[in-house]
Amino acid sequence: MKRPAVLLALALLLLTSTLLTYRMLWLEYPIFPTAPGQTWQLSIHARIKAEQKEVRVEIGLPSEHAGRMLLEERITSAALSFNLLREGPNRLGVWSGTIEPGVEEIAYRATIVVRPGRFPKAEPPTLIKYPPIVGKEEQALAERLSARWNGLAPSARLLAIAASTRGEWGTPLPEDRDLRAWAVVEEKYGRLAALQALFQVAGLPARAVEGLRLEEGIKNSLLTWIEVWTVKAWEIVTPDTGKIEGKPASLLPLAAGGVPAIRGAAGELSDVRWSLSRQIVSQWQLHFERIRRSDRLLDRWSLFHLPAEFQETFRILLLVPIGALMIGALRNLVGFPTFGIFMPVLMALAFRSTGLAYGLGIFAGVLLIGYTVRRLLDRLRLLLVPRMSVILTLVIACFTILALIGNKFGLRQFMAVGLLPFVILTMVIERFFVLIEEAGVREGLRTAAGSAAVSVISYAIISWEPLQLTFFVYPELMAAVAALLVLLGRYTGYRLSELFRFRTFRSLA
Amino acid sequence: MIFRALRQLREAGVLGMNARNAEYIMRCNPRSSFPLVDNKVLTKTLAQKYQIPTPSLYHVIEEHGNVSRFEGALGDRCEFVVKPARGSGGSGIVLITDCMAKGFITQSGERISREDFAYYLSDILSGIYSLGGLEDQAIFEALIHPEPIFAAVTYQGVPDVRIVVYRGVPIMAMVRLPTRASDGKANLHRGAIGAGIDLKSGTTMTAVHRSRVITHHPDTGNPVSGIRVLYWEKMLLMASRALEMAGLGYLGVDLVIDRERGPLLLELNARPGLAIQMANRSGLLGRLERVDGASPDIFATPESRVAWARATFKTS
Repeated sequence: MKRPAVLLALALLLLTSTLLTYRMLWLEYPIFPTAPGQTWQLSIHARIKAEQKEVRVEIGLPSEHAGRMLLEERITSAALSFNLLREGPNRLGVWSGTIEPGVEEIAYRATIVVRPGRFPKAEPPTLIKYPPIVGKEEQALAERLSARWNGLAPSARLLAIAASTRGEWGTPLPEDRDLRAWAVVEEKYGRLAALQALFQVAGLPARAVEGLRLEEGIKNSLLTWIEVWTVKAWEIVTPDTGKIEGKPASLLPLAAGGVPAIRGAAGELSDVRWSLSRQIVSQWQLHFERIRRSDRLLDRWSLFHLPAEFQETFRILLLVPIGALMIGALRNLVGFPTFGIFMPVLMALAFRSTGLAYGLGIFAGVLLIGYTVRRLLDRLRLLLVPRMSVILTLVIACFTILALIGNKFGLRQFMAVGLLPFVILTMVIERFFVLIEEAGVREGLRTAAGSAAVSVISYAIISWEPLQLTFFVYPELMAAVAALLVLLGRYTGYRLSELFRFRTFRSLA
Repeated sequence: MIFRALRQLREAGVLGMNARNAEYIMRCNPRSSFPLVDNKVLTKTLAQKYQIPTPSLYHVIEEHGNVSRFEGALGDRCEFVVKPARGSGGSGIVLITDCMAKGFITQSGERISREDFAYYLSDILSGIYSLGGLEDQAIFEALIHPEPIFAAVTYQGVPDVRIVVYRGVPIMAMVRLPTRASDGKANLHRGAIGAGIDLKSGTTMTAVHRSRVITHHPDTGNPVSGIRVLYWEKMLLMASRALEMAGLGYLGVDLVIDRERGPLLLELNARPGLAIQMANRSGLLGRLERVDGASPDIFATPESRVAWARATFKTS
């Protein structure tokens, strides 16, 4: 009785969750494949002016880790040859070769996906006691200044040192002489190097990083900041303000630890531009790329391997069971009247090409015309099949006229009625007519309105892109939908409408 | 608030649509038996085998080619009922009370020309009234002259008695009284009145019209309750025998009482509606559960089942 159905539903849910867990934990699928757009298009452009024949240019490129993914890296190298170089945490693009005197354009382009909440695996760096640029005297000075912070915990020490760059040394103030001397050091080596030296001296490994803030725009120079290791992770300090960056994911490092982001023999490189633009549509592409690169079984059997034109179909098809689930719920839990089970879903599919407002308008219009003609036909006493065929012809004629009107006035939606809805419309006209004849205009309109409402909801479901994507990435979710359908099929409780229908019993109880 | 309302319905023992479909129809009614009740010609043949009286069958049209020849088959009969063999919910039924040179007169006094009538017959054959739109047959059978017990509370048409039978035990009954709104038809959703019948005494009790409890017929103004149904025991037995006849564990048996022939089996319904609960102001679920809890002996014969039902489901 009830038990096998529940067991089946549980088995289906188990199947879904097993596959989901496997994909998420082992194949590292995103938990929310539709996390709001964190996709950026980065392009780096540069000009190389060749004065000598031999050219070598190095440009810092973004690197990939758990919190950041690179897709579709494209390199323009003109006559030069391109190599990738790894130096510690850095990835350097090296353009080298022999070129004729003149100007060459080189470019690097990549789609960067930031996955907030995922951090790179950071290993504790070894502490270099002093940055090479700082001399003996300055070292002694830095040691004197940092002595005050020795008792603090790493994170508190970080905050205190960062504050010093704003001139907040805390009480008691260091000796005036030292402060002045430090100001000279800052002047001489730059705030960045000075601050970095202070961190180093205080036992916090620090490195200077060049990179970009992820925001739309074109830049001619890079930002610099200091990354400080506080036992657990790298913290980012802006050297000018001494502020701690709260959202490390909003920064894109290109070169770290003293490696310059652009390096080339003097005079060779000019006009370096970094441009960033936010990408919204590439979400789809992104999973496609990711999965296509994998050779795991589930990835190889993924829907992403279908040709693009069929993918579109399956994106929608996978959601139809949800529409059916909803219709089932509306009918069996609520008691909503509709013209059959599939009509609203098919209508919703038709709305996809026409758009909701036009779709509803076209449906209502054709239904009205069809109903009128059906009424007139009733007097002619046509047999069932030829009569339905006349209605069918009428519906198609209506579509043809709509398409012509649409073409005249540039309304694409009118031309988009397509093949799908004509069968449904013909059947709806017949059922609408019979219902009105048998149960009255009110009942007919009620059912028509119910069907329209359900198809609007179905339309909203199947057009919801995040849901499409989720089901496309995780088709096993269909098993979960089936489980719900099975459970719904065993729901033997009352429908909401029955509370109203049997209301007299409620006063009896 | 909703949960309280749901609990109230459960406590009143009301059977809901979902429970009816999943727990009773799907469990008790084998799919293979559905054609027997969905097709009235088959039901009639079967009833004859079990000596259950039905309205006399005059003629059956199965093919469009025979539509024009029906009058020959009817002979000089000018009183008859035409219905689709697979019709449901009373749709497509026409009662003819008289013939004219140019056509027929229906019970409500409407005239139908011969052409219109032939068109209507071919509609039946095309399956327009049939369940699922299948090709259908048109049945001509004897017009019922209803026993006058319900005359005071009937507006045209023929009242019929619906008995819900579970595992051969009649569990609830009502009489369906046509009104002006129902156009002489005895179907509740068309606006007929349903009056509950006490199983023990066979007397009508409360009545329902379009989901509202009423005491008097809206057209005739006469009180609906307190009418004693003739042949009550016999009707209960006929209903009870439908189990053996059709092999359906949960069904609605529709009977009419003819002035001359007494109770006749009109049709069987494998998906009887739930409105009977309102006509009786009593839930089906409680009664279904009591039948399931009854001792196996009572299911032995139709007589024992009816006796048990009359003793158990009496309205005090």
